[in-house]
Amino acid sequence: MTLLDAARGPVLQLALAIFAFGVAWRLSSLLLLPFARDKSLPRTGAPPAAFAALREILRRSWPQKSFGRASLFMTVNSYVFHLGLALIVFAFAPHILFIKSLFGVSWGNLPNNVIYAVAVVTVASLAAALIRRISNPVQRIISTFDDYVAWFVTLLPVLTGLAAASHLIARYETLLAIHILSVALFLAWLPFGKLMHAFLVFVTRGMTGAYLSRRGAQL
Amino acid sequence: MSDRETLGAALARCGISRRALLKYSSYLATLMALPPAASSAMAEALAKARRQSVIWLSFQECTGCTESLTRSFSPTLEDLIFNLISLDYHHTLMAVSGAAAEAARLEAMKENAGKYLVVVDGSVPLGDDGAYSTIAGITNRQMLTETVEHALAVISVGTCAAFGGLPHADPNPTGAVPVSAIVTGKPVINISGCPPLPEAMAGTVSYILSFGKLPELDHLHRPKAFFGDSIHDRCYRRPFYERGMFAKSFDDDGARNGWCLYELGCKGPVTYNSCATLKWNGGTSFPIQSGHGCLGCSEPGFWDKGGFYRPLAAGTGSPGVAVGAAAIGGVAVGAASAALHRRRLHDQGGEKPK
Amino acid sequence: MSADGVAGCGLRLRTGLAKAVLSEVARLLERLSDAGETGAVDLHSLPMTDGDRAELEERLGRGEIEATLSVAGVSRVWETRYAGVWWVRHFGSDERIAAEEIAITHVPQILVAHPADIRAAASALRDDLATQPPQGASEESRHVGP
Repeated sequence: MTLLDAARGPVLQLALAIFAFGVAWRLSSLLLLPFARDKSLPRTGAPPAAFAALREILRRSWPQKSFGRASLFMTVNSYVFHLGLALIVFAFAPHILFIKSLFGVSWGNLPNNVIYAVAVVTVASLAAALIRRISNPVQRIISTFDDYVAWFVTLLPVLTGLAAASHLIARYETLLAIHILSVALFLAWLPFGKLMHAFLVFVTRGMTGAYLSRRGAQL
Repeated sequence: MSDRETLGAALARCGISRRALLKYSSYLATLMALPPAASSAMAEALAKARRQSVIWLSFQECTGCTESLTRSFSPTLEDLIFNLISLDYHHTLMAVSGAAAEAARLEAMKENAGKYLVVVDGSVPLGDDGAYSTIAGITNRQMLTETVEHALAVISVGTCAAFGGLPHADPNPTGAVPVSAIVTGKPVINISGCPPLPEAMAGTVSYILSFGKLPELDHLHRPKAFFGDSIHDRCYRRPFYERGMFAKSFDDDGARNGWCLYELGCKGPVTYNSCATLKWNGGTSFPIQSGHGCLGCSEPGFWDKGGFYRPLAAGTGSPGVAVGAAAIGGVAVGAASAALHRRRLHDQGGEKPK
Repeated sequence: MSADGVAGCGLRLRTGLAKAVLSEVARLLERLSDAGETGAVDLHSLPMTDGDRAELEERLGRGEIEATLSVAGVSRVWETRYAGVWWVRHFGSDERIAAEEIAITHVPQILVAHPADIRAAASALRDDLATQPPQGASEESRHVGP
C-alpha cells in the first residue's frame, strides 16, 4: 500500500471517525446538560432572550468602538483567513468532490488559480495572526498550547495543499498524500480543542448575550 | 541469419540501408528525449551490434502486451525493432510448439549465456505451489528462475509482470506476484501499462542494444524517458483543470467541449506514462482524448484504488458505517456524561434539573 | 480534432517558442560558421503549437534544395533560406511525423551515402555487370541499394 493509498483509505476513515465521535460527544454532553433556571427577574426593558442572543452574535462580529483601533487588526485579519479557509474548503473543485463523496451534495466551484491566490493570502494572514499572538504581551500570556496546535493544524493543510497544487519539492502523489494526512490531523484534533469553536461559536455568543441582557448589562 | 553477423551487415542483406537505421535512431532519440546528436552515434552502434537474443516468457497474462507490440506498427519505420532482435522464444508467436519450443528456449539460453534479454509479460502465481499456471510441465516460477539465471537483464512488460496487475488485485486468489519479487541479482526494468506503449518497449530494447547499458530508471524501475512525466502534466485538457472547468458526466456539454475529466475519476495526476505525448495506434489518440479518464494502468495496484470513476479527491473507503457508529458512540458518551452530571446535582440536592 | 494531438484543442496561438528556436538556430549557425561544429534542434520534443510550427516554417522559408527520401517510409529534407540550416522531417506510418529536427550542418547526415552502403552498392554493381541481363529487359529504374 502506498502512502497515498493509506491516506485516502484507512487514515482518512479513522480521522473522520474520530471527528464524528468527538463532535457528537462535545455537542451532546453540552446540550444535554441541565439548564439552570434563571430565578432573577429580567430587568425592565430587557429584550427577549432570542433577540439578545442574536444581537450579541452580530455585535461580536464587528470591532467594538470602546476598544478603538486596538482590536481592528484582529477582527479584519480573522475575517481574512476565515473567509479564505471557507473559500478554499468549499469552492475548490477537488474539495467539493471530497464533500460530495461524504454527503452526496455538491455545488459550483471557482477556478483553481483563484483558489491558489486565496490560499497564498490565507497563509499570509495566518502567519500574521501568529506574529500578533507572539508579539502582543497580553495575547502571549493568555495563549495556551492548544492555541498554537490549533494554528498549526489549520495552517498545515493550506501549505501542503499549495505545495501539491504547484508540484513543488516532491512528486504529486506524495504531496497529495501528505496533504490528505494533514487534513486527517486537522479533523482528528478539531473536536478536542479550541477549533471546536467552528460548531460552538454562535452557541456561546448567544448564551452569553441572553444571560447578560437579562441582567441588564449594557454592552 | 547468423548471430555472429553484425546488424549492419544483416540489415544490408535484407535491403535495409544505413539511412533507414539513421532514421530509426533519430526516431528513437526523439522518443527518449536524447540530444539530436546522439542519433548518429546510436545508428553506428546499432550497425556494429549483434542481433539481440530475446526470450519472451508469458505467464498469467492476456496477451495484450504482445498485441500492443506486434499490431500497432505498420511496416515502415517503427517495426525496424523486429530486425534488431532475435525473438528466440515466444510461445504465442513461434511456429514450433511443445518439446521443440522448449528446446529452442534452452538452446538460446546456452548459446547466448550472459547476453540474452528475458522479457516477461504476466504475473507469477505462487499460491498452491504455483499450480495455477504451468508451461511444459513446470511452474511459472521455475521457468522464470531457470531462464533468468544467465540473462543480461529482465524486462517486465505490462503491469502484471511489473507490479502484479489484475491477477494481483484483491483478493489475489492465485497468490500472484510481480517478476521483481522473484528475480534477484539481475537488473529488472519495468515497462508498465495495461498494455504498455509499444514505443516504450521498442525504445528500451533499442537503447540497451545501442548503448550497451540500461536507460535511466525511476524509483519503480521504469525508464524515465517514458515514465518521467504524469499524464496530467502533459495532458492537453490541463488548461481546463486550472480554470476549474470539469465535465460532470460523460455526455454533458463539458465532456463534448473537451473539459477536464478529473471529476469523472481521471487518475492522470498520479499516473506516470507517455500516453498523452506518444499516444496510441500510431499516434491517433489516447483515452483522455477519446473522452475517458485515465485509469492509472501503469501504476502499482491500480485495480484497488477505490474505483475507476471515483475522483482522486474522494477517499477510497465508504465511511458511512464506521463514521456513523463513531458519531452514535460520541452521542452516547456525551449523554452519559450529562446524565452523570444531573445525577450528581440531584445527589447534592442542589439545583433540580428541569 | 486533428490526428496530431496538441492540435486537438485548436491551438493556433503563437506562444513565442518559434522565436526561441530561431535564436537557438542562429547561435548554432554562428558556431558552424566559426568553428565548423554541427548542431541540431529536436522539434518533436518541444511543446510547439501548430501556430508555432507554422511561424517557424514561415520565418525559415525555403532555399535551393528539396529532397524526398523513400527510406523506411517517407522523409522530406529541405534547405531553408539560410544556407546550412536544414529542415529534416521523417514520416512514420500513415504520414505521421515520427521525428523532426532542424539540422545545422553542411549536408544532413541522412542525405550522405554511408560507406557501408557504398561498399555494398559497388559489389552489387559488379555482380550485375557479371550477369548481363538480356537486351530489352531494362531494369534501370531499380534502385541499386545495399
